[in-house]
Amino acid sequence: MSGINESDQIARAAGGDRAAQAALVNRNMPIVFRVAYRMLQDRAEAEDVTQETFLRAWKALPDWQPRAKFSTWACTVALNLCRDRLRKKKPVLMDELPERVDSALRPEEALASQQGLQDIAKKIAALPERQREALTLCALEGMSNIEAAATMEVGVRALESLLARARRSLRASLNTELAEG
Amino acid sequence: MVDDMTKDRVLELIAAYGAEPGGWPDDERESARVLLSAESDAFAAALEDARALDQMLAREEMPAPSPELAEKILANAPATKPERAGLFGGLSALLFPQGVRWPAGAALASLVMGLVGGYAYASTGIGYDQADSAYFSAFGLDSGADWVSLE
Repeated sequence: MSGINESDQIARAAGGDRAAQAALVNRNMPIVFRVAYRMLQDRAEAEDVTQETFLRAWKALPDWQPRAKFSTWACTVALNLCRDRLRKKKPVLMDELPERVDSALRPEEALASQQGLQDIAKKIAALPERQREALTLCALEGMSNIEAAATMEVGVRALESLLARARRSLRASLNTELAEG
Repeated sequence: MVDDMTKDRVLELIAAYGAEPGGWPDDERESARVLLSAESDAFAAALEDARALDQMLAREEMPAPSPELAEKILANAPATKPERAGLFGGLSALLFPQGVRWPAGAALASLVMGLVGGYAYASTGIGYDQADSAYFSAFGLDSGADWVSLE
């Protein structure tokens, strides 16, 4: 963090300091938006969730306790908002769906296919909800395992299991499509 | 550093976090790296698969949020506490640059000092006449008689 620690910045933002508020938004809005977009696959909805997350942040800042990084807190709020929206859209518990069976083609072969590249976002979107959250936070946003587990409010072992299943599902999904194509 | 790192655990790390050790848990990374370099053949296939998937994930496309989003968010941010406005506000700021708490505090301190001083004075037992005498002396007069002569 450049020169000023996050707690000070949050205190200043809570007191109405526009520069501190802008810095907090500039630093954290992108990750919140990306997480929301990956979960909802809709830009407008992702923007709504991002806005709602920061609305909650503005209310929470005066009583902020530096137990977690702001980005961790914001991503947790955003994920919860996304889960609410997904639940309203699709009442089926996605995590209960069976994983696809692995096929013969390897990911490097899928990589060579333009179609495979174009479809990677769709494949991620098709992952069960919790697997998509884990993959988004760790593999795509580069969070540490501890931070991602805290954001998802699960244990590190549970996070690892979700990650492994997500990667296995993706690989199988890409390979199956290529085999069928 | 974990002392009991095993092949199975390294394979689990690759399966969960991918081929890049930088993405592995901090407390296991070095132990896993040591085992990885010591027995590289055992992990070659897993690493190759994971690396290919990592590369695909890295090329995922992501739309940018609209440029107005940050402005909308900041429009709802809490405002600075309003400054005291109007004539009173201006005078107050001019007279009491430290804020109005200072004169209030000073008034309270004066009150307390007066009460304490008054109580202490009363407790000395000095009578009215002695007090008068001290008062006259302060004005260069010897006694109350001089006041009479002045009248």
